[in-house]
Amino acid sequence: MRRTLIAAAAALAVPPVQAGETVTAGTSFNPEISVILDGVYYRDSADGNGAEWLGQVDGIHAAHGHDHGHAHDHGGPTQGFSLRETEIALSGSIDPYFDAFTYLTVSEGGGVELEEAYLSTRRLPAGLTVKAGRFLSDFGYHNVKHPHQWDFVDQNLAYSNLLGGHGIMDTGVQLAWLTPLPTYLRVGVEALQAENAGKIGQTVDEEAVHETIEADDSNISDGPALKGAWKETFGPRLYTAFAEWSPDLGFDHALQLGTSLAYAPDHQELHGDPDYQSSGEPPVHLLDGSAWTAGLEAVYKYDHPDDYGAGDLTLQAEYLYQVKDLDIAYHQLGGSKIGEKREFTQDGAYLQGVYGFAPRWEAGLRYDVTGLTNEKAIPGSTSEWDASRRTTAMMTFRPSEFSQIRLQAARADLAYDGNRSFNQLYLQYEVSLGSHGAHSF
Amino acid sequence: MQRIFITLLLLLASSGAAALEVVATTSSMGALTRAVGGETVNVDVLTPPDRDAHALEARPTMVRALRDAHLLVAEGADLEVGWLPAALRRAGNPDIQVGATGYFEAAAQVELRGQETADRSQGHVHPAGNPHVHMDPVRMQRVAGALADRLARLDPANADAYWQGASAFRDAVEERLPDWRERLADHPGAILYHKDGNYLLEQFEVPVLGYAEPKPGIPPTARHIRDLVRQLEGGDGVVIHTNFQDGTAPSRLADHLGWPVAEVPLEPAVDAGTREYLDLIEAWVAALERAR
Repeated sequence: MRRTLIAAAAALAVPPVQAGETVTAGTSFNPEISVILDGVYYRDSADGNGAEWLGQVDGIHAAHGHDHGHAHDHGGPTQGFSLRETEIALSGSIDPYFDAFTYLTVSEGGGVELEEAYLSTRRLPAGLTVKAGRFLSDFGYHNVKHPHQWDFVDQNLAYSNLLGGHGIMDTGVQLAWLTPLPTYLRVGVEALQAENAGKIGQTVDEEAVHETIEADDSNISDGPALKGAWKETFGPRLYTAFAEWSPDLGFDHALQLGTSLAYAPDHQELHGDPDYQSSGEPPVHLLDGSAWTAGLEAVYKYDHPDDYGAGDLTLQAEYLYQVKDLDIAYHQLGGSKIGEKREFTQDGAYLQGVYGFAPRWEAGLRYDVTGLTNEKAIPGSTSEWDASRRTTAMMTFRPSEFSQIRLQAARADLAYDGNRSFNQLYLQYEVSLGSHGAHSF
Repeated sequence: MQRIFITLLLLLASSGAAALEVVATTSSMGALTRAVGGETVNVDVLTPPDRDAHALEARPTMVRALRDAHLLVAEGADLEVGWLPAALRRAGNPDIQVGATGYFEAAAQVELRGQETADRSQGHVHPAGNPHVHMDPVRMQRVAGALADRLARLDPANADAYWQGASAFRDAVEERLPDWRERLADHPGAILYHKDGNYLLEQFEVPVLGYAEPKPGIPPTARHIRDLVRQLEGGDGVVIHTNFQDGTAPSRLADHLGWPVAEVPLEPAVDAGTREYLDLIEAWVAALERAR
């Protein structure tokens, strides 16, 4: 796969030709190709488990112990040297009507993952654009950014625990509208399949139900009841809506405020162990209902006239609030619990600032937290999990626009089967090879 | 009430027809558009004159300005590649997408210098060529003609006015050229900070003796400054940097060489027209004139 891509890149690398209407190195390579290399040296004081824990802290997605977590997350880097995802981006115009974007990532072990593959319209009038395919959702502010565009090495706690390591990355369609108001107001809606939704819009596949019933040590006597309670759902299972507003503050200052909502009308979870008497796990129960996440965002940027980023300042903050509103559809201990409500609520936030303290140098601070509200409500009682917090400092040096070296240190206080505090250290390089990407706000 | 409504409708209709909405990526492109378009165009400039138009992001205000534009005037040759494609994608305006009649690139209208192999070990190279075409008033004369043609295609009713505007701009430049040529004749040369004044220096046959940057996009290093001084010691010249480039290295160069150092803008003011554009070139000529 990789070899084919490189061969394709070489075949397309013709010398730039001057077209009549436009001069750009970019359009002479169609598609534009860039490769992002990203490697880290990682250390933590938690025997190398720290990065993995950060994405699975106690809360509404990791409520029943961590043995069968919904662990999609990357597990984090190993201690010492490792490659993070190598990103291959191809983009270009298909025809006068569509642009196409493809982002593939190659993991250190050689696994290829398709992160984004979508087309977007060029010709719709009145500020409208439509995206179709697999893409990073415009939910929130940070969600749409690829790891190489992040100001810190790793994802913040709010996103990694409530949206997933990549945020909302899914297949579907998006309609966005830049309104004709005098100040910037962009709104949009998305319908997403939730095929690999880590967090909300999950489904239980039929196979998991069968396995639970037919397990060797299964004590489930009413298999048909469980089968009957399970329901097949069809996509799209996740809908989002977003709005971002930005007043005109001149050339030096920029502010963007936004709000987003993600709604999953169908959300199912299967928990517990059929052999609960001996395993100490809860009995098997199937939860069924809906879930939603709301987000608020604020971003301020100051652009200093000095060259190479000196004096520039970025402040950004987001708050996420997530609710899973579920009913017990099946319970191993019998019918009396069926229909009982289970409401799960968890929130998360981060606040970060990055300042260009010298030409080509920037320093940043981030505080991220999840679980300030972190509870499970059953009729008559509410139980809570503790919050998890982290403080991160980083310093980045950019030898040129296309390369950067980053040192990052963090102190985490997590609720993960009890309280765990540890330190993390990253040394990262990130370089971009190939065509010059554009920086969105 | 009804009368107010009708008046509003008329106002809306007339404001739509009266002026062509033009978005210019830089103030020099804005100045040229005002020179050619005169009263019949409304010009909105996307980037401030006091910073590098390359090192910006697609800010929401840019996206908003692009949404309703009939014409986008870019300097081109990848100068705006760091933000314009992203801003255009968000704007949802089919009339100004690359390749549309409403997309105009100055660099595409003239012959470019400094086409380089796309090898970034040589710094931030522009394989398409040096994009800072507005620094050459002669090239800008040609761009003015092409822009008038483009405006005429978009707004045939005012075609004559656009051609007259371009012609007036060409004359205004023509009038100043002999004086500039005379003042810069037999010039010993200049050190620039970045490859941004090259078109102007070349037009007036002023040798470029070196750059404060060791490679494009890489800030000056002590070693590079030392090498430059060693190489140019004993000769004459002047050191020039723009107002957003750090003056430390240029001053050090000037000190060691016994040359004057001058800070000049790279762009005219945001609301500039022909006169302010000519003043910009005049400022460069005056700075170059100080060479010893």
